[in-house]
Amino acid sequence: MKENQYDLQEMNTLIQTMKKTAKTLHDQAASFPAVQKNATRILASIKMLEINISDIIDLNSKK
Amino acid sequence: MSNQSPFWNPALETLPYENVRKLQLEKFKRIFSWAYKHSRFHKILYENVGIKPDDIRSFDDITRIPTVEKAMMRDIQGKDPFPYGDALCVPLEEVTAYRQTSGTTGQPVYQPDTWQDWEWWAECWAQLLWAQGYRPKDRVFIPFGYNVFVAFWAGHYGAEKIGCEVVPGGVLDTRGRILKIQELQATAMMGTPTYMLGMADTAVNEMKIDPADLTIDKITCAGEPGASIPSTKQRITEAWGAKVYDHAGATEIGAWSFECQEQPGGMHVNDAFFLVEIKDLETAAIITEPGIKGKMIITALDRQAQPCIRFDSKDIIEWDSEQCSCGRTSRLIKGGVLGRTDDITKVKGVLFAPSSVEDVVRGIHDLGNDYELQLENINDRDVLTLQVEVLKDSEDRIDEIKSKLSDQLRLKTNLQYNIEFCQYGHLPRYQVKAKRFKDLRRTKT
Repeated sequence: MKENQYDLQEMNTLIQTMKKTAKTLHDQAASFPAVQKNATRILASIKMLEINISDIIDLNSKK
Repeated sequence: MSNQSPFWNPALETLPYENVRKLQLEKFKRIFSWAYKHSRFHKILYENVGIKPDDIRSFDDITRIPTVEKAMMRDIQGKDPFPYGDALCVPLEEVTAYRQTSGTTGQPVYQPDTWQDWEWWAECWAQLLWAQGYRPKDRVFIPFGYNVFVAFWAGHYGAEKIGCEVVPGGVLDTRGRILKIQELQATAMMGTPTYMLGMADTAVNEMKIDPADLTIDKITCAGEPGASIPSTKQRITEAWGAKVYDHAGATEIGAWSFECQEQPGGMHVNDAFFLVEIKDLETAAIITEPGIKGKMIITALDRQAQPCIRFDSKDIIEWDSEQCSCGRTSRLIKGGVLGRTDDITKVKGVLFAPSSVEDVVRGIHDLGNDYELQLENINDRDVLTLQVEVLKDSEDRIDEIKSKLSDQLRLKTNLQYNIEFCQYGHLPRYQVKAKRFKDLRRTKT
């Protein structure tokens, strides 16, 4: 990919994959605080990626 | 390299404005539903006027939603879930940070945040600092007493998120902070306009250090409107030899507005994260056109633990008719935050904004940075008394300065003042937010 180019759809796909992975990890770690709490923080960071990218990708299709 | 991008988020910050509005509406629906579902306070507030989440389809629908005032938040705190009350939308165990408002206008309001909220605070700050030219190469000194007030906490984390090296100047006194800036060659700093001027004053008068000789090249101001008041901005700029940027935020709202490097004479609203509405002070209609002052009603579109939905901030703002040349599509508010409805008052029948006095005082080079303004009712007449400090080198020209000050005040505010000159160093110095205007008509019985 050339500099200054980005593909929002592709970014969003990667974000959703990360979210799914982090959520699965979080849910599997009920008895493992080190994993669950770090996964919580990762999910908070992923939410920031969603605010930055995922929230805007479908705007053109909205009235 | 991403460090060369002029935008923190090149997609969001240059989004066509019609899409920004679509985004705001979608996000408003989301936060409204969240609050309705998870907070008893919000549900009752909206049920009382018969509004449910599905009723929100347009910006007109949003204008029918009741506003929330700070006093309402004060009323619920101290109750369960303790200490926040029933505006809390998450279980207490998900709250990771406590902050409170500064208490400038009364009993402080408690503010809970989850870790996600804290990430969001830092995200808002990262975007504004990036717009002001902060980059990973910067060493950012933060001269604020890290405590229960949110102040520059989020600025610290926002700068870290960018990748800056952050130096917390918390427990140091003013002299210690100046020496640390000198020792580490810090390049940027954050503080209230009052404290930035106070630090410069200490450096010059007590330490014989010219702050302009230090390495600070940019300063982000917040907490007071000073950095958008031209004469105050100029004084800070000259004192530190640095570019001075304004930013507006609040504990219960978030970091909602900022000046960019272009400094177009106003501040950008972070439209993607906040919905700012301006309400006419007399008709209560929503003002969409530029050039008309009103009070800000604001919604933080992504804040989770204690949502901020149509909060009556009491800040006076107006839309700018111009678009900023920086390329951001967000709207500008002209001249920054122009005042507060709880400060703006009628004096002798004239609408009076105390911040206009600051611009006059700091525009006269014979006067110090500090002043005090008092309004009393004596024999049924409003009397304004302004105390100013005259600089030592100008003490022999008091009459000339008084005449100049009096004329400029009359021109700017249409009012007359009793002017009292004090020796330099006589008036109170403030470290955080200065409270220079006292309306004693309200407190005397």
